[in-house]
Amino acid sequence: MKKLLLAFSFVTAVMVTAFSQGKAVTGMVTAAEDGQALPGVTVVEKGSQNATFTDLDGRYTLNVGGEDAELVFSFIGYTQQTSAVAAITEINVQLVADVAGLEEVIVVGYGNQKRSKISGAVGTIDSKEITSMPVLRTEQALQGRAAGVQVTQNSGQPGSTQSIRIRGTGSLNNSEPLYVIDGIPSGGIDYLNPADIASISILKDAASAAIYGARGGNGVVLITTKAGSKNQKPQITYESYFGVQEPWKYMALLNAEEYAILMNESRSAAGLTPLAALADPSSLGEGFDWQDEVFERATMMNHSFSFTKGTETSSTAIGGSYFTQDGIVGGDKGNFERYTFRVNTRQDGGERFRLGQNVNFTHLNRSALAENNEFATPVGRALNMDPITQATREDGTFAYSNFIDSDIANPANQIALNNDFWTTNRFVGSSFAEFDILSNLTFRSTMSVDLSLGSQRIFNPTYDLGIGPNDPDRPAYEFRPVNSLVLGENKWSNWQWENIVTYDKELSNGDDLKIVAGYSSLSNRSTSFYASRDSLATNDVEYAYLNNSLNAAEQAPSANGGISESAFVGQFMRVDYGLGDAISLAGTIRRDGSSRFGVNNRYGIFPSFSAAWNMTELPWVAEKDWIDFLKLRGSWGQNGNADGIGNYDYTSLVYNGLNYTFGSDQVQVNGAGPINTSNPDLKWETVEQTNVGIDADLYKGKLNFVFDYFVKSTNDMLAVVPLPGVVGYLPSATNVASARNSGVEFMVNHRNQIGLVEYSVGGNISFIRNEVTGLGEGGQPISTGSVFGIGDLVSYTEIGQPIAYFYGYETAGIFQTDEEAAANTALPDAQAGDVIFVDQNDDGTVDGADKVMIGNPHPDFTYGFNFDASYKSFDFSVFLQGSHGNDLLNGVFRYDLNTTNLPVSALERWTGEGTTNVYPRISHSDPNQNNRISDRFVEDGSFMRIKNVQLGYTLPESVMQRLSIGKCRIYVAASNLFTFTSYSGLDPEIGSRGTLEIGIDRGFYPSARTFMAGINVNF
Amino acid sequence: MSQKTTLIIGLFAVSLVACKSEFLDVKPLVGSTEANFFLNAADAESATIACYNNLQQEVTNIQGSSQLAPHFRWYFGDIVSDDSHKGGSGDGDEPELFLFENFQGLASSKLMLAEWQVAYRGIAYCNLAIDRIPDVEMDETDKNRFVGEAAFIRAYWYFNLVTMFGDVPLILTNLAPSEYQQTRTPSTEVWAQIETDLELARQALPKRSAMSVSEIGRATWGAATSLLAKVHAYQSEWAPCRDLTYEVVSSGEYFLEPDYSKIFTEAGENGSGSIWEVQYMNASGGNWGNQLEGTFTNVFTRARGQFGGYGFNIPEQNFVDEFESGDPRLAASVFQVGDQMGDRGEFTLEATGMPHEYYTKKFFINASDEAPFGDPNPNGYSNDRIIRYADVLLFHAEAQYHLGNEGAARLFTNEVRSRVSLQPIPANMTGLDLLEAIYHERRVELGLEGHRFFDLVRQGRASSVLADAGFSAGVNEVFPIPEVEITLSGGNITQNNGY
Repeated sequence: MKKLLLAFSFVTAVMVTAFSQGKAVTGMVTAAEDGQALPGVTVVEKGSQNATFTDLDGRYTLNVGGEDAELVFSFIGYTQQTSAVAAITEINVQLVADVAGLEEVIVVGYGNQKRSKISGAVGTIDSKEITSMPVLRTEQALQGRAAGVQVTQNSGQPGSTQSIRIRGTGSLNNSEPLYVIDGIPSGGIDYLNPADIASISILKDAASAAIYGARGGNGVVLITTKAGSKNQKPQITYESYFGVQEPWKYMALLNAEEYAILMNESRSAAGLTPLAALADPSSLGEGFDWQDEVFERATMMNHSFSFTKGTETSSTAIGGSYFTQDGIVGGDKGNFERYTFRVNTRQDGGERFRLGQNVNFTHLNRSALAENNEFATPVGRALNMDPITQATREDGTFAYSNFIDSDIANPANQIALNNDFWTTNRFVGSSFAEFDILSNLTFRSTMSVDLSLGSQRIFNPTYDLGIGPNDPDRPAYEFRPVNSLVLGENKWSNWQWENIVTYDKELSNGDDLKIVAGYSSLSNRSTSFYASRDSLATNDVEYAYLNNSLNAAEQAPSANGGISESAFVGQFMRVDYGLGDAISLAGTIRRDGSSRFGVNNRYGIFPSFSAAWNMTELPWVAEKDWIDFLKLRGSWGQNGNADGIGNYDYTSLVYNGLNYTFGSDQVQVNGAGPINTSNPDLKWETVEQTNVGIDADLYKGKLNFVFDYFVKSTNDMLAVVPLPGVVGYLPSATNVASARNSGVEFMVNHRNQIGLVEYSVGGNISFIRNEVTGLGEGGQPISTGSVFGIGDLVSYTEIGQPIAYFYGYETAGIFQTDEEAAANTALPDAQAGDVIFVDQNDDGTVDGADKVMIGNPHPDFTYGFNFDASYKSFDFSVFLQGSHGNDLLNGVFRYDLNTTNLPVSALERWTGEGTTNVYPRISHSDPNQNNRISDRFVEDGSFMRIKNVQLGYTLPESVMQRLSIGKCRIYVAASNLFTFTSYSGLDPEIGSRGTLEIGIDRGFYPSARTFMAGINVNF
Repeated sequence: MSQKTTLIIGLFAVSLVACKSEFLDVKPLVGSTEANFFLNAADAESATIACYNNLQQEVTNIQGSSQLAPHFRWYFGDIVSDDSHKGGSGDGDEPELFLFENFQGLASSKLMLAEWQVAYRGIAYCNLAIDRIPDVEMDETDKNRFVGEAAFIRAYWYFNLVTMFGDVPLILTNLAPSEYQQTRTPSTEVWAQIETDLELARQALPKRSAMSVSEIGRATWGAATSLLAKVHAYQSEWAPCRDLTYEVVSSGEYFLEPDYSKIFTEAGENGSGSIWEVQYMNASGGNWGNQLEGTFTNVFTRARGQFGGYGFNIPEQNFVDEFESGDPRLAASVFQVGDQMGDRGEFTLEATGMPHEYYTKKFFINASDEAPFGDPNPNGYSNDRIIRYADVLLFHAEAQYHLGNEGAARLFTNEVRSRVSLQPIPANMTGLDLLEAIYHERRVELGLEGHRFFDLVRQGRASSVLADAGFSAGVNEVFPIPEVEITLSGGNITQNNGY
């Protein structure tokens, strides 16, 4: 906060405030519709800071510079007006109510629709919202901005993906929405430069998404990039920011002295003699802070420019950007770099013919550290490593621990040795031609390609942390005698051809008819090639290439590769019919076929209907002058979810590689056979959704409401239902499961101005309830989410419960005495200080049948809140976002290893009768399995995070004109400034690993707190 | 208006027609499907190798979950017996195995599922090979041999199943979805099928001496005959056991490796006394038992701490005490404090970080012999010695004893003893004393090789020997049928008594 204040005073100091006072102008501002006086209207002398606002009677007085001045009248809910002063001293103005918000055109599937006519549930984010705060990735622009859209990061490491859930987790399989960028379906949107985006529409209900048929079941995110507009003066924009990221929290862990005390106690309790090295805990003091060792301050930087221009017959938009971000773990070892180039053009080829091209090239570089597992990640190791071992010895070499081995090796050494590089070159382009067959009948054909080339290079150098050669005491993970190299090349290509006809006609009776019909075909292909070799001549990554292997001549490189293909076709049609202004009706139908579906179910049909009733003109609404607009919407539809299906899941492939070794020379001989059963009935998952909603604009547009209620049922959900073991082969997915998501979404926005302060405040909240309704015959629950430190699977999916809830033992405190423990025969191995696990079924033993729900990773509600204000040249915004009622599973610590560092709560351990009823005794032997999966590891994951705070200053035009710059804004901002949570781990905002592992913390790579300063310039 | 609508509908119709169904016929280009497999001799051989491949599967992914479950032979053969304790980092490391060791194991255990599922997975590949190879046009000798190998492996899996679980579903072909829910077949029928398969294998498989060195590791006449003898021993059918073991002895195919300690080294693999070994080799990039030709037993049974192992299968004092003084097999089987653990350093409690004073030695490999692939715990090369010639000799002795030929029983037991220079059993030792001596010899000769628990059950001694560990007669002779399998069978499969 101090930094913000400093920045504020700096901005104030350079502010140019001089203006002259020449001539007084007075007047009155009234509303055009009823002639009533309008108080609070801003009156500004154009191009200056000179301003006032109208009083309660709508009157104002302002001294202006001279007769060439112009006055700008603006008021929320009304169209802005400009009047030249000239010789006049009294200027009275009638402001016209602004209904443009309702006339705003929203991008929907294969077309546009006016906001006032939309009958489905569509959330929108415009480019102003996207660029109002610096977003590192496009997904971030969606976070907290639209009700019913939950965005969570899968890691805080630069370049990591984020999971997006529209209206809950709709499937046990792929639950990510379909992304369509300028009409091209794309896997992932990380290649986009957020500054290139003109608008984002989120199709949430089935009716809006139904035109995407078998692929729209998880909702659709439509992204349109900037294309420029006709008759537009050349405009060049340059945007840049620089930021410093830092960790915002360390976990509170034991120091060396505390660690030694606990380890001694733990060994003694198991009948082991305490280690000599820990004999005198007090001499060990604070010890070493491993979190401080692995975390660091890291920088990031963005440069982006764009150029737009339009003539009478064409428009062009050109954009380019460079973004680089180091990680707060490993710095440049966890770097992400993005270069983007984009050219979008539109040309008229005569009266009836139009052409256009979108071309985007993106180059991504990423070096990545292992993350988010409990085995060998820098974060996990830093949290588990004992606090006595130092990262380096006095001679500067990395040290190993004398207290812990196995997976917990020196993380500083791991980071130093990490050489894991990914490069992606991605070309996404399309061309279209549009022809007006008749004045209201248009044909459009679009050919597009999404081509991605990815390379991977992993080099594992040799190392030995031993003291001298062959130090017998060094743990197995602290030396690697032979180096190795893996090189990989992947290629994805994705061709699409779409032909669409659009008919748009206002009928003689005043009704509107709009028909869109089309055909789409798509083919995907991915190929891969991997090769590896060991024993490279040098440990220098610069020389890490296959042919530098020492024994390259005799050692054949291990190599493998393959190809995978799929094809889709779809035919679709949508009819929009507007009965006057009051009723809008829409119906869509799509027939989709996919090579991924089994031969018995190659095609699916997906219908939808929706209607909207604009109630504004009803007498009882019209008479209430505080209601500007009121609309009731309803929709029903079906679509499919097919993107989670593998290309050949319907068949039983015979795989090679089921090898065996024969002969005295141990030669591998190829074996082959099927792995899975086949499923010729395999098909899409069917998502059926009903939605009702209300849109309202009140008080001259000062208040907007959107309310939605939905019920979304997923049937024919693919699940790999366990088969009886006697079948032998592994089960393939079958369309047997079902789930239901229902919820309420509410969005409100208020904007107003008080004097020269314009502000808007808004928020959205969504409540979603998720329930599995079917899991195939027998309803066998699905266990997932292995957490090694706890030694069990922690996630459970069963009928009647939310997907992947936490499943384990309920605890009932701690046995205080041996007598109490002995009396509990359900826990025969317990003694005083051990955890009491509840025998739920009272069968006299605590076993798997006693596991119950111990936590729910799905939030009760999620919300976003934003406040924006501007005063003269200053603008300020706060955006916060949160999640409430979700649980997290803290699986950070490797309890299976006995000698990891521990959270400070371990100090509260049971040490005798009455000491605690929460934390068990500490012991190297754990016959009662105190660390089995139980509610002890479940924590409340609710959080509220100040995602972004920003203060901007726009330099005065007078200064800008002198510099020939159109507009220049500078700002300072902070991301993740504060996070309010009771969760003990490094970050409460934890995404999912696949769909069936939600909210499990295995040493999560946390997101950073970032301070940024930036500049936006328009020429 | 109507004209235009017609036009639109017409365009839509054109686009429908443009949809060609061939566009969606995308065939996999890597690998083949079941439809175009089994076309030639190479396919038949690959399908046979796949049967062998499943023998190496030590750690399996439990169906329907991401959970890994090991199912080493020594888990149940040794740890559940009085030869060894579980070990690991503590009681919480593989807790389900800890329960089985104390005869409190649960039907819900993933270890039971792993045993069951891996066996039936192995059987499915054998069934496929036995079903489909006869129709392949190829050399008849090779064809018979491939089918014989598959039958031998199928018999091996059913032997494991019937000794673990008792009555089990007998599946001899790949199942159609309508046949997925099976019932248990009485164990007598399962035993009969095992015998049928092994008889077929005995006829079809070559003798070891007739094979080239490049074929070492493939099933032989000797392996099938020995396993068949063992199958009869497990049913106390001593006459056929005697005859079959004698066939192996008199074939001259096998003789005892003079140096007992060499058997468990790399040089001792597939040695003169080796009848049936599951083959493993150092192979790149694998641990946790994925199917990359290595075994995870080496890592699992090696001491923890600086030795980099997981410290499982800890020999019990009772087992160590079983050895006569001067029996060199103790030093070949067990590491004791102060021993040098190969090139990995001296065995001290401090170095292991654990209180155990013994570790099993039979699966120990030197660090310098490990696959140098950068993984700190790579899969090892140690073959799993499933049937050794000494096992056959001792079965012969046991059979002769039960058939009243005590002299022959002594003779064959003494052959095993003389290899390690121990005094022969005195000629005046008879009756139960002699039987005890044969049992003793089995225990020390075959210790920590996964036999003990099943031997005790077979010999009817488990309830007395394992009484302290909690063995309950009439229950613990077999393990619980996995709970999930009962559910998935729609209740057709029943639980074993007492679980």
